[in-house]
Amino acid sequence: MQAHKVLVIDDEKATLSMFQLFLKAYGYDVLLAENGLQGLEMFAAERPAIVFTDIKMPGMDGFEVLDRIKAEAPQTEVIVITGHGDMELAVKALNHEATDFINKPIHRSALDAALHRAEERIHAAKADSTGIDSRQENDLHIIEITGHVSAASERELMDAYAGGEPSPKSKILLRFDQNTTINGAGLGVLIQLLSECRKKHQAVAITGITGNFAQIFDMVGITQLAAIAANEQEAKTYLNGECK
Amino acid sequence: MAQPLIDSIKNRSLKNKIFFSVTVVILLISVLIALFTRWILISTLTSELKLRGLGIGYSIAESCRSYLLTEDIPQLTSLIFDARLGARRELVGYVFIIDKQDRILAHTFIRDFPAQIATANRIDPEKDHRIQLMTMDNDKVYDVAVAVNEGIYRIGAVHVGLYKKHIDVLINKLRTTFLGFVSVVILFFFIISHHLAKTITRPIAKLTRVSDEISRGIFDIELKMENGLERSGDKDEVRQLSRSFINMTNRIKESQAKLKESDNKYRSLFASGPNPIFVLDRQSLNILSANPSAEETFGYTREELVGRLFTDLGPFELSADQLLTFSTQPTGRVTSVSSKVQYLKKNGEAIYVNVHACPVHFENKQALIVATTDISEMVEKDSQLIQASKMTTLGEMSAGIAHELNQPLNAIKMGSDFLEMMIEKEMPVTEQQLFQIVREVSSQVDRAEGIIRRLRDFGRKTDFTKEKIFINDPIISVLDIIGRQLRLQNIDVQLQLTENLPAILAHHNRMEQVIFNLLTNARDAINLKEESTLRNNQRTIVIRSYTDNDRVVVCVSDTGIGIDPTVKDQIFEAFFTTKKMGEGMGLGLSITNGIVEDYGGKIQIDSIEGRGTTFHLSFPMVP
Repeated sequence: MQAHKVLVIDDEKATLSMFQLFLKAYGYDVLLAENGLQGLEMFAAERPAIVFTDIKMPGMDGFEVLDRIKAEAPQTEVIVITGHGDMELAVKALNHEATDFINKPIHRSALDAALHRAEERIHAAKADSTGIDSRQENDLHIIEITGHVSAASERELMDAYAGGEPSPKSKILLRFDQNTTINGAGLGVLIQLLSECRKKHQAVAITGITGNFAQIFDMVGITQLAAIAANEQEAKTYLNGECK
Repeated sequence: MAQPLIDSIKNRSLKNKIFFSVTVVILLISVLIALFTRWILISTLTSELKLRGLGIGYSIAESCRSYLLTEDIPQLTSLIFDARLGARRELVGYVFIIDKQDRILAHTFIRDFPAQIATANRIDPEKDHRIQLMTMDNDKVYDVAVAVNEGIYRIGAVHVGLYKKHIDVLINKLRTTFLGFVSVVILFFFIISHHLAKTITRPIAKLTRVSDEISRGIFDIELKMENGLERSGDKDEVRQLSRSFINMTNRIKESQAKLKESDNKYRSLFASGPNPIFVLDRQSLNILSANPSAEETFGYTREELVGRLFTDLGPFELSADQLLTFSTQPTGRVTSVSSKVQYLKKNGEAIYVNVHACPVHFENKQALIVATTDISEMVEKDSQLIQASKMTTLGEMSAGIAHELNQPLNAIKMGSDFLEMMIEKEMPVTEQQLFQIVREVSSQVDRAEGIIRRLRDFGRKTDFTKEKIFINDPIISVLDIIGRQLRLQNIDVQLQLTENLPAILAHHNRMEQVIFNLLTNARDAINLKEESTLRNNQRTIVIRSYTDNDRVVVCVSDTGIGIDPTVKDQIFEAFFTTKKMGEGMGLGLSITNGIVEDYGGKIQIDSIEGRGTTFHLSFPMVP
């Protein structure tokens, strides 16, 4: 695999040097920029596949950088770096089509996960389309969701749901992929679906989402409409329990 | 020579003066009258005598004319002897007739005719008679010479000799009578004037005695005064005087009573006053007296306080103006000496007081009444309020702080995670990498420590004693804390700080609070301008520090929305805010103002709505 270029934009020199150490050790070609302008210049010159950018920077902030990069090369995987507990910013970032977000202080695992996701998505090259499949497993209606969930996914999602002929006491499993991304609008669609299920007293479980997204889901209240399970087994146990 | 006499007269009592002067005057007058009368009498009598003599002379002259012509001596002689008949014998001493040739034709002398008188008294040719006083045998006689004329020719003269002793006897009698009379009068007046003098001076002497009694404090004189004066009428001056005197003493009695009452009132005020009151000697500042509140507040007993130096308790410094006023005026108005100074109780505990002083007279000494008002509670509340506001400020800062602390933590985390990963993956770590990480970790910890320390300093409750600080230091400290935040909001902070400014007396972290408050207000103003439709957005804050005469000035200018002139005066009021609900309590500027004023500073505002605002803070510099 050819080494991808990774651009890191952050006004903190210490952060940049730490990123360099890590990314170099992972075998990436590391580009460093101290502010948004410099970062964009470098981006234009080098066209890295992955960009890490801090949100809170003087001058041009992270969002503007994100927008510009996405405008220039929408397939670039942009991961925003947020401050601890800054969930609102994270959601906003997702709305701006960020691939992922990581919180400072950055844990190795989080960094790994973000890089992994980015890589997968690059390989999957399905950055913009939503992949929704649905199938039936006994009395369990499974909806598999991959790719990017956005407002455009609404139709597909609702179709997949209806396709399972939902009735009261249906058990529904929403299985996400590790690389699935979802933006604010997509969350809205999801919530809409889940509210419908709740109205119809259907039990829903969700699997396959990363820790980050689990937090987001919790914040927007999805966890009140559906249970988030660590794996399919847990999900099935929950669903069976709910529908007794 | 006259001086001792005059002095002795002056020094006599009034009574004697009146007495003697009356007597002397009466004496003089009497004497004068006597002399005058005597003189008149004598002259009248004398002329009467002379006239009588003349009368006799003329009658003889008439009668003897024919005889003279015929030189009928016997007729002449019998004529002149007739003249001496009867009562005239005493009066008329002699008569003689003399002719033109100075021959004595007839005379009444029994003995020999004294030749010298023949020609002694010559009548002037033009005149008819002449009278002359002569001495004859040790007697004084008036020789009255009358000319005997036949037609116009003088044919002879008749001389009548009158004894002067006739009138002398009368005169002597008169003199004796007069002397007697005058003596009686003098004696009479002697007694009268003595009595008069006494009468006049007796009330005066009484008044004097009574005055003495009054000055000793005895006031019931009314009765004594009235005695002896009932007989005199209302218009009598002495009575009026004593009436006046009685009125005066009554008034004195009244004012004495009022004074006593006032004295009691002030005594009780002094004793019961809630604030400690001291009376100090103006020069030495020793405590002369203290009220119970002073004992209670400071923990000393009265005995321990009296005689002690007032400055043992705390600083007491009068300004030059006050010293001047206090030394020139015996009593005066109350002035404030010090505000919010620390005084010590007996047990060493400190209290905060305001000190006021007022010059008075106390027991004939120049003194000062000094009152200390305990404001410790107020100072405590003040500092609590500042502390509360600080907490609010800290809350505002928390987002910024979180961000600040996150950076070092991130670097440390990433560094150590990297090392962990490399070891796990059994990948080599170069020495350079190791060194880089280790150094970074260490410096980031320092950085975090700095942030925490600054926070703790900021939140700390200050000591009351001010210290010398340089105004640039709190400015730099605050910018360390929120400078990054401001930059993140794209606010350009420009510093124009003068180096080596003189120090001011203040507290470092309170000044930080002031600067922080001004910067947050500036930031908010800039953001508000952004929100309004006004374009032309400069987002700049300029901080300047410099000296102006004897003051150190710091200016914070922003290009924000400016201050509405109608509210300009209200912005320092506590709880006044133009911010929306929930966005600020409106305490910041009022506390800032309080802090600035506490340090003797002044805040001045220049603002143009829509353009920006500048806050000028000036503080007195300390050498």
